[in-house]
Amino acid sequence: MSTDRVGASPNRVGGVGRVTGAQRYAADIKLADALQVKLVCLPVARGRIVSIDSSAALAVPGVRFVMTAADLPQPVPRFGPQFTDRPVMAVGETKYHGEPVAAVAAETKDAAEEGARLVRVDYEALRPIVTLADALAPGADLVQDASIRPRDPLAGTNVLREHRFGWGDVDATPADLVVENSYTFPIVTHFAIEPHVFMAAPDGDGIAVWSSIQHPYWLQRILAGVLDLPLSRVRVFAPDPGGGFGGKQHAKYEPLVAFLALLTGRPCRLVLSLEQTFQAVRRTCTEVHVRTGLMSDGTLAFVDVKADYNIGAYADIADRVVGKGSYPAAGPYRVPAVRIVSRSVLSHTTPATAMRGFGNPQVNWAVESNLDEGARALGIDRRDIRLRNVARTGDTLNPVDTRCDGEWDQAVRRAAEMIGWDTPAPPGHGRGIALGFKSGPTTGLSQSTVRLLSDGSALVYAGTSDMGQGARTVWAQIVATELGVPLERITTVSGDTAVVPYDQQTSASRSTVLMGNAVLRACQDVQAKVRAMAARLHGVPEEQITVERGIVRLPDREVAIVDVVKPGLGRMAGEIVGNGMARKDAEPDHPLQGSAAFFEFNCTAVEATVDEETGDITLHKYATVSDVGKAINPLQVRMQDEGAAIQGLGHTLMEHYIYDDEGRIRNLGAIDYRIPTSMDLPLELHSDVIENADGPGPYGAKGMSEGALISAAAAVAGAVRDATGIVIRDLPLSPERVWRALQERSAR
Amino acid sequence: MHTFAYARPATLAEAVALLAEHGAAARVLAGGTDLIIRLRDGTLVPDVVIDLKRIASLRPGVREEAGLVVIGATTVMTDVAADPLVRRHFPALADAAAVVGSVQIRNRATLGGNICNASPAADTAPPLLVYDATVVAEGPGGTRRIAVDDFFVRSGVTTLAGDEIVTAIELPLPALRMGAAHERRTRRRGHDLASVTLCCGVREDGVTRLSYGSVGPRPVLRVDETGILADPAAPAEARTNILEQLLADASPSPRSMRASPAYRLAMLRVLGRRALATALERLEARA
Ligand SMILES: Cc1cc2nc3c(=O)[nH]c(=O)nc-3n(C[C@H](O)[C@H](O)[C@H](O)COP(=O)(O)OP(=O)(O)OC[C@H]3O[C@@H](n4cnc5c(N)ncnc54)[C@H](O)[C@@H]3O)c2cc1C
Repeated sequence: MSTDRVGASPNRVGGVGRVTGAQRYAADIKLADALQVKLVCLPVARGRIVSIDSSAALAVPGVRFVMTAADLPQPVPRFGPQFTDRPVMAVGETKYHGEPVAAVAAETKDAAEEGARLVRVDYEALRPIVTLADALAPGADLVQDASIRPRDPLAGTNVLREHRFGWGDVDATPADLVVENSYTFPIVTHFAIEPHVFMAAPDGDGIAVWSSIQHPYWLQRILAGVLDLPLSRVRVFAPDPGGGFGGKQHAKYEPLVAFLALLTGRPCRLVLSLEQTFQAVRRTCTEVHVRTGLMSDGTLAFVDVKADYNIGAYADIADRVVGKGSYPAAGPYRVPAVRIVSRSVLSHTTPATAMRGFGNPQVNWAVESNLDEGARALGIDRRDIRLRNVARTGDTLNPVDTRCDGEWDQAVRRAAEMIGWDTPAPPGHGRGIALGFKSGPTTGLSQSTVRLLSDGSALVYAGTSDMGQGARTVWAQIVATELGVPLERITTVSGDTAVVPYDQQTSASRSTVLMGNAVLRACQDVQAKVRAMAARLHGVPEEQITVERGIVRLPDREVAIVDVVKPGLGRMAGEIVGNGMARKDAEPDHPLQGSAAFFEFNCTAVEATVDEETGDITLHKYATVSDVGKAINPLQVRMQDEGAAIQGLGHTLMEHYIYDDEGRIRNLGAIDYRIPTSMDLPLELHSDVIENADGPGPYGAKGMSEGALISAAAAVAGAVRDATGIVIRDLPLSPERVWRALQERSAR
Repeated sequence: MHTFAYARPATLAEAVALLAEHGAAARVLAGGTDLIIRLRDGTLVPDVVIDLKRIASLRPGVREEAGLVVIGATTVMTDVAADPLVRRHFPALADAAAVVGSVQIRNRATLGGNICNASPAADTAPPLLVYDATVVAEGPGGTRRIAVDDFFVRSGVTTLAGDEIVTAIELPLPALRMGAAHERRTRRRGHDLASVTLCCGVREDGVTRLSYGSVGPRPVLRVDETGILADPAAPAEARTNILEQLLADASPSPRSMRASPAYRLAMLRVLGRRALATALERLEARA
């Protein structure tokens, strides 16, 4: 049974279902009598809608309804996790290519498609704002009408928010060397394999919604607001997503489908194609200008960062991405003076949203690469310059935030050692190293219920979405450890807001810490009740009994929890119910409204060669080491870390959207937007973890799974630089881009 | 998806008759790895789809016959790549077939479909051109043989008549020893469409056949009969000049997202040199 417990790697709960196809994802749920929905979009990003004629569409056999903005409450409801700016469907003008102007509901998919083709929209194409330069140009058209930004001093610009962070006085801090460069990060998308699915059905006086959503409870609140219903009348079913990576955090077309269901009185179903998903979710792209001040011994004097993020047409959660992603820009280092100015900039492109790393990879790529330049200029080893500056446990990072909470230098040394940093590289091989760093969650609330049933089996309720990270396994392992219930007798329940207690969100690598603590406390609540039961059963005062790790310790002996519970519950059976909660409150005066619950820390070290004729990069050795506090399930931790590294290789080596002049994504879909395959992996990929039980989660765990993605680009680019001498400050490092840089080097 | 009728004829004659009857409104289906995509995205809206896979005389396979290796049009890439006759006599074709798409695609994608689809990036086209293949087509008027160099016109267009079906691809058994190699350039190592696909064959009599695709509207074949390319001892400059002449027909589109013309042209040269070197090694090894 010890293989069930914390620190072991039992098989993933639900894993067999996932690999055999038995798992029912949102799209596998077929609602009886459902109408199929197809969105109608304009062939341009920005178009002023003149008129919409649905008559031909309505004549298609099977088409039941064509919804336009005119069918919605007026003014058309808007929603969003941070700003109430996104309309249920386009109002007056489309703001990005793919924004729906109408939705066709029909008995079959083919009829809906045919209907959508026949909806006639007269529109006037307007010049879209695609790039940061377009958006920030003096006199640029406004992406968002000032009327939806009341009392906002920036409402007359395309800057949604400007964030300023820092400490010390950068301008007054002397440095022996100042390295100053600009870096860009492309638009990439999440590319979850499971499609985004939105279904809704009238449910008594309320509505039931099925969605491949990461944050069902947040969606519930959004829907309640848009539909003006009490939370208790909005039921969200959230089957385990097949990958989310942040793209499924927040409401997208659930409100639209909910209105369709209410207006037709029928269940309605919308499944996005991969192409539509590209138009619906993406990461913010960024231009970062960095000044790094260094003393001649390599000590950091200051870090000065300006970061502009192109967030698209509506804010979604992207402005939070900008704030939280740029805030740790100075890295995991002791830096006397730091100045960070970051802006979220609107454009007529797909609204950006959360994506693994949450704004940090964009800035980290710039700041870590710039530190490499400093090290080279000073003749200091690139690992050593990091070891010189990296904070040690208890050191102050940002003076108003959590102090260094890990033995980070251990991870740096370990990753370097794993690629043989101290041995000479083979001829033509280059090495790179970078540190990934991110503030963990700043606020959070997770609630859990654990029910220990009369036969000693258990149910654990946790509203975290298990989208492949293995959350269910972690809850089961905690219950197995605390209550001594074998894993195969534990059932995890999630994905229904009417049944499972509240969880704020599944994001920011929070769940193992926050929900993990809630589950642990629910187990402790059960233990307390078992203790009272044991006292009654054995006639022993409670003070003389302890309950831990599945065992009840009586003064004269130890018994298993189950051996107290069975006789304790007796012939009427019943159960013991425990509740647990983990809460991290907001801090109103904090620059991010909350300090970090923990930091995510990773070190990536790479050895690479470059084909000088083609620009191909070959990654010979790739090591990723994360500080995880405690690996509750070591195998899952490795899988997360390695998965993050590989996903990071996407934006590092090949992924990017290509736009045309109309603001349309040209490489829409899998054929011309390339993600790494198994054949694109490093020849050797190694991962390791640092465990010092110094995290705030159960058993000392910290959150993890984003860190390895954050540091990928700078580590790889550093190795390319080391191998060839070329410096590239724009991602991805595609063969063609590397080849061009090699050509320019030869021309010099 | 637009609705269409589906026909599954049992004989070639039936299939040809169906094609003749429906004309441009009919579409032939082999593995479907090109066709289904176009049906789904609506760029093709045929009234009838004619499936070739139940036609007895079109059964897939490779056989040797009167100085030829005959590959059935419906033979899938996996089988082309693994076939002993192909591997022995036409290794560059086996190499090209082995890199089409992914395992799943290769298990369905047919050789006939690859050339009939006539994508400039079709990977089997350059080796078929180098090996001087002939396309065998069956139509209402009977059988027609088309040199593969006369088959391709431009993307999606061939000299096949609307009522003809490709039944086989014939490759003459080489009378002279040849070393040949296939090379391609993709944006990643995992499956991808080629931004340059190229094959070079060097014959023992000094003739070098070079074919390349994805750098213009159709795959191109150029032949060097001077013997200079085939001669590693020839002056480097002379060899470079010949190679340049052979590659001069490349005209990559500036509209492509896969690679810029400058990069494509540069890679064409890199791949050309690499394929030539490998071809020479293989010729040597066959001696
Ligand atoms: C994911 C993916 C990756 C791919 N990668 C590659 C690649 O790397 N390299 C490459 O070259 N191709 C690639 N392709 C394209 C495709 O797989 C090949 O072109 C394949 O060989 C087509 O064969 P098929 O049997 O599937 O053709 P189908 O789709 O059945 O037919 C293709 C076309 O040819 C016509 N046709 C088929 N057979 C005949 C016949 N016997 N007579 C007359 N007309 C006929 C059809 O009407 C249709 O117009 C890829 C496709 C996909 C989906």
